[in-house]
Amino acid sequence: MSIVDLEAKIPNNVGLRENKRLMMALEKWQPKFLDWWANMGPSDFNQDQVYLRTAIGVGQGGWAHFDYVKMPDYRWGIFLADGPDDRKIHFGDNVGEKAWPEVPGEFRNRLRRLIVTQGDTEPASVEQQRMLGHCCPSLYDLRSLFQVNVEEGRHLWAMVYLLQTHFGADGRDEAEAMLERHSGDQDNPRILQAFNYPVNNWLDFFCFTAFMDRDGKYQLASLAESSFDPLARTTQFMLAEEAYHLQTGENGVGRIVKRTGEIMAEGKDPRTVGAIPLDVIQRYVNFWFTGSMDLFGGEDSTNAAEAFAMGLKGRYRESDGIYKDPKALNANYSLEMPTEDGKIEKKDIPLRRAMNAVLLDAYIADCKRIVERWNRDLDKLGVHQHIQLPDHKFNRHQGVYAGFRFNPAGEIIDEATWTKHHTDWLPTQADRDYVQSCMVHVTEPGKFANYIAPPPQGVNNQPIEFEYVKFH
Amino acid sequence: MTNRLCYVCEGGDCTEKGSGDIFDKLRDLVREFDPNEERIKIRRYPCFGACEQGINVTLYPDKVFYSKVTEADLPEIAAHIAGKGEAVQRLTGKCEPDVEQIIWDMLDSPY
Repeated sequence: MSIVDLEAKIPNNVGLRENKRLMMALEKWQPKFLDWWANMGPSDFNQDQVYLRTAIGVGQGGWAHFDYVKMPDYRWGIFLADGPDDRKIHFGDNVGEKAWPEVPGEFRNRLRRLIVTQGDTEPASVEQQRMLGHCCPSLYDLRSLFQVNVEEGRHLWAMVYLLQTHFGADGRDEAEAMLERHSGDQDNPRILQAFNYPVNNWLDFFCFTAFMDRDGKYQLASLAESSFDPLARTTQFMLAEEAYHLQTGENGVGRIVKRTGEIMAEGKDPRTVGAIPLDVIQRYVNFWFTGSMDLFGGEDSTNAAEAFAMGLKGRYRESDGIYKDPKALNANYSLEMPTEDGKIEKKDIPLRRAMNAVLLDAYIADCKRIVERWNRDLDKLGVHQHIQLPDHKFNRHQGVYAGFRFNPAGEIIDEATWTKHHTDWLPTQADRDYVQSCMVHVTEPGKFANYIAPPPQGVNNQPIEFEYVKFH
Repeated sequence: MTNRLCYVCEGGDCTEKGSGDIFDKLRDLVREFDPNEERIKIRRYPCFGACEQGINVTLYPDKVFYSKVTEADLPEIAAHIAGKGEAVQRLTGKCEPDVEQIIWDMLDSPY
């Protein structure tokens, strides 16, 4: 078990005190991070006391502490999951060899790119969500937003630690650049396009955490298998925190769906009482789910094949041993491919080239599960209009389906049909205006905006009416 | 090393109901007869989606989906894993079949 130093300026379990050069580099970066938080983090709530979970260790039981804290005083720390000293590589070309404690020179650029791309998403989402506190549907949800925000900030610390520790001057430059790019900045945007979309309302926020953060879970899970041991152990611990973010989104959309169902069951039109109709929720789900699938990269990808072969990124839960061949050399993946004459044909590609598609399949199964969960709540209310997960080919801008038009059922369509119907499938400006009109600011403990049902329980065994945020 | 797997759900609802303790205690019981994971690996799983029926525990390739698991059930589950007992029928069949199928589909990966 590693020793956790909670008294250090930067809490950590990586022995910072014994590495003065690294400690100085991180302590030099820390005020820049705090400046970024003050200017680009949640707007106007930095003097308020928020009931937050703070990571204080990496043990499976009791790894976090709950208390009131002002967000700028949050103890952003560096934590790696504990692991065996003799961890072995368990997939790719080097199966059975000892995992790497340092970056192998031949993989340096590729690993740096992976870490920078992952790291860039962490502050990006905080920037996207910075104004949401001003229209929170409840104190409970405001706390959830800030919990997600501070932990995304900690995940940035996790990636910056890897860059500063293992990538020398290049890593230091990359750490600086993480704070210089900004979501939606025309001159210096975030790396992945989906992290430049605005998140202006709470339906966007819950869809973002349900779908985009779920993509993050799968990306982190594939990095948690990595042969580069510090990356694997860093991302393993990030996954423990990320679970709450996914739950926030899954439950948040579910509570909006449930509230709409309750109103429909009473025979009322949701629009007459400030709630969000199911067809509008459907279009938001279509938008965020399809945008999140683009983050997985091309379904047929030599880059993905190389990352797997090198042992940098594994399949979802690779270390559980659920796959037949840890080298993935002797199998093909059957991929649906659009043809020039407007048809879909199945094409076998070598499994290694399909690693993004394999990860995406696991993600889609997870998303099906959450949508079915929302629909079961509608069924219980006697509402049989359901939310549908669109086909994986719909509205794609990356991968083999980009450049083709599909309807949500996955049928290939022509441009004229798309032009005629796309506003039935994706949020319109009128939808966005209506959803924005529902965003009332509710800060009385235990009260909720009328478009969202209360959660079944509070946080950390506190009651729902607990004062999760104390305003100054 | 075995490919037999036991997953204990650590989704939000199951965690609230004490799945962390269930994981620790089941692992300890199984270690008594399988200290080196030669018969089964016990792991946490993010969420199966059968939240209302939690705490949920699955066995693969047996394809047994246990729901509403309590500490009192663990000796029987451990006995089943050890091959000394049948599946604990009173804990099965509680969640929707399509929810069960999602986890089997992942574990039945053709790759």
